[in-house]
Amino acid sequence: MTVAQDNMDVAVAAHGDDRDKFEGVQTPFRRFLSDYCESKLAVIGFFVISAITLVAIFAPLLAPTDPYDLASVSIMDSRLAPGQAMMTGTTAHLGTDGAGRDMVSAMIYGLRISLGVGIGSGVIAMVIGISVGLFSAYAGGRVDSVVMRIVDIQLSFPAILVALILLVTLGKGVDKTIIALVVVQWAYYARTIRGTALVERRREYIESAVCLGLSERRIMFRHLLPNCLAPMIVVGTMQVAHAISLEATLSFLGLGMPQTEPSLGRLISNGFEYIMSGKYWISVYPGIALLVTIVSINLVGDRLRDVLNPRLQK
Amino acid sequence: MKPWRQLGLAALAVVTLSAPVQAADVVIGMRSEPSSIDPYFHNLGPNNGMLGQVFDRLTDWTPGMDKIFGRAAESWKAINDTTWEFKIKKGIKFHDGSDLTVDDVIYSYERADGYEGGNSSFRTYTKGKTLKKIDDYTLHIMTDSPYPLMPNDTTTVMIMSSEAKGTGAADKNKGISAKDFNDGTAAIGSGPYKFVEWKKGDRIVLEKFDGYQGSMAQPWDKITFKFIKAEPARVAALLAGDVDMIDNVPTSDIERLKNEPKVSLSSGVSNRVIYLHMDQFRDSSPFVTTKDGKPMDKNPLKDARVRKAISMMINREAIVERVMEGVAIPAGQLLPEGFFGRSPNLSAEKYDPAGAKKLLAEAGWGDGFGLTIHGPNDRYINDAKIAEAIGQMLSAQGIPTKVETMPKNVYFKRASKGAEGGLPEFSFVLVGWGSGTGEPSSPLKSLLATHDKDKGKGASNRGRHSDAKVDSLLDQALATVDDTKRAALLAETTDLAIGKNQGIIPLHYQVNTWATRKGLKYNPRADERTTGIDLVPAN
Repeated sequence: MTVAQDNMDVAVAAHGDDRDKFEGVQTPFRRFLSDYCESKLAVIGFFVISAITLVAIFAPLLAPTDPYDLASVSIMDSRLAPGQAMMTGTTAHLGTDGAGRDMVSAMIYGLRISLGVGIGSGVIAMVIGISVGLFSAYAGGRVDSVVMRIVDIQLSFPAILVALILLVTLGKGVDKTIIALVVVQWAYYARTIRGTALVERRREYIESAVCLGLSERRIMFRHLLPNCLAPMIVVGTMQVAHAISLEATLSFLGLGMPQTEPSLGRLISNGFEYIMSGKYWISVYPGIALLVTIVSINLVGDRLRDVLNPRLQK
Repeated sequence: MKPWRQLGLAALAVVTLSAPVQAADVVIGMRSEPSSIDPYFHNLGPNNGMLGQVFDRLTDWTPGMDKIFGRAAESWKAINDTTWEFKIKKGIKFHDGSDLTVDDVIYSYERADGYEGGNSSFRTYTKGKTLKKIDDYTLHIMTDSPYPLMPNDTTTVMIMSSEAKGTGAADKNKGISAKDFNDGTAAIGSGPYKFVEWKKGDRIVLEKFDGYQGSMAQPWDKITFKFIKAEPARVAALLAGDVDMIDNVPTSDIERLKNEPKVSLSSGVSNRVIYLHMDQFRDSSPFVTTKDGKPMDKNPLKDARVRKAISMMINREAIVERVMEGVAIPAGQLLPEGFFGRSPNLSAEKYDPAGAKKLLAEAGWGDGFGLTIHGPNDRYINDAKIAEAIGQMLSAQGIPTKVETMPKNVYFKRASKGAEGGLPEFSFVLVGWGSGTGEPSSPLKSLLATHDKDKGKGASNRGRHSDAKVDSLLDQALATVDDTKRAALLAETTDLAIGKNQGIIPLHYQVNTWATRKGLKYNPRADERTTGIDLVPAN
């Protein structure tokens, strides 16, 4: 956490009276940082999501039990209320679910899957979307029309519907969920970057690059792409949050993750069965975890949009 | 507008306005929707239960399955070793006003026997039987060998009107397609209730048939079946008063509903056993692997000792207590206590980890192997959770087990004929069987007899258990007319097929629970059916 603390110091310093001190050495990054930190909520969001990411990465070290190891989960521990002891002697601080998994461990592992699937599918979709979108914008003309009509068709289907159909055909598992999410997401990236790239393409620096006789690939990726990145970061953040909630929805509907490896959505749906009989903890805690994760990502994304959008600059 | 016409309209308005507020309407919240209104499309619990109210059968069971009574048949008797005579009741009308005669019965059995394109047929009950018309109200059913179970078998096939018209291809299913039933045109039965409409995914509406001549009760004028698949939603609908009764009360809510003053519960043991099939026909089974998940060219499940060891590793008491919340009975054979032809020697296998370990070692599999259990997740009470609990138990005892569950429409297709050549795809499956004939011969025939499509045997034998001795004992039992002797033979067959061979592993008998609002009462049905006929006002 020391790294985070340092950031906080910079943030406070940048925001406070010492601002002048930095004026002489202002780099774009410093400026970005000070703009970002103007919103306290966004800073909190950033720290929460960093903490959640760390928990997810170090899940095997942090979780009291391994909820995905069937041999160590026992049905005799099922539906314990928060605070009760399991057969192995471990205390289930947030209770256990219907199959006897410790909720704390299940949620930590669930977060791991949710974030993994969200970020994984986001990055792959971004790479595909950027390549297609840039190419489309640069090529223009008929190619552009064809590609963008495909994107239009893709965007006209509700994401959840496409993902559902894909998962029904593909089956269960992390890899298949990622594939389904990439398919429903790439079009957003493609559409966004194409819009930005179309504007940038008419700029002088591209024209001069063309006049210099640089290769098309070089122009696209070394000149055009860096200047289109800012909106991509914003869309990327928002799409990760979207992917996480989409994965949760799919799991809630019984698709996505296998039954013995529940992600947050699956945990919520498992607990839904018990909600009428007063065993609230199986649904409620994973629900809160999901909520906090998505809200933090959205806070960060919102702020990034404000900071990176030149039209909103003072 | 002329005054007399106004008067007429006013009268009409009074009639139509007062009609919906009749007290004798009832709404039932059901978990499972039938797959068709065509009575021969799918031999499936929800279909048989729903359509049994619309169509008569020759004979039928009382709710507790302790007695067979005549519906279309007035009386029946064996007139010689291989012929049964059924007398049809005179004066039975179909919903379209035509008379029910032997012709309709023969027509119905023919359509059931030759049904094309259905999901699971009634052929088990029609194969090997020849129907012959003696006169309009006398029917002979002939078999090759003595067949004492005839009145049991006739509780299955429903009787439709031979005058029903359809839009299907003329050479297929008598020209009537399932669609013609689903929209009501061909859904003409003679049962106590008429089919009104089916809104798929939402509701089926039945209406009292005024010309009904039979002995079944007609407690309601209109019965609406609403399909509410989600468990909590079904309970909530009852508590909110949207429905008068729900079936398949989730086990986790039973305790709570007991204390609810607005609700009364009724439950009964069903004829359904939940059990495991194991691949006994492939030398290399696709879902039996080495411990680290690699394919294996040997199949330990072929060894009865391994099967017995697996059975001993399963803590049935724990499943009943923790998964079923006490609402189930550990099983050791095909039917719960009280049914005909049970074996007195078989009780539920005791949980014995040490014994299982020893037995596995003896069979040469002391180091264990890997398995995948497949099961449905929307068919039986808590099915997915049972599969997971078994996965836990086996994994903890040296057989790392993966759990895979799926919706029933995908699952049963793959479990029965998903592999190449129409063979069962899975190695270790969780299934249930409700014995429609009220005695063990039907599950013995379907689940444990050697698979033979032409003889109608082993139709659901997804592990392909096969033992010539079981087959011959069963054939002998099926042809024995004397009840006591037949019961003894059936018990002996069960002893051999389950007790010795471990052809399947029985887990538990289902106990079904219905919840009604106070003032109503449901007669729990051992065949698990949910009907409006068995829902009556509590006095």
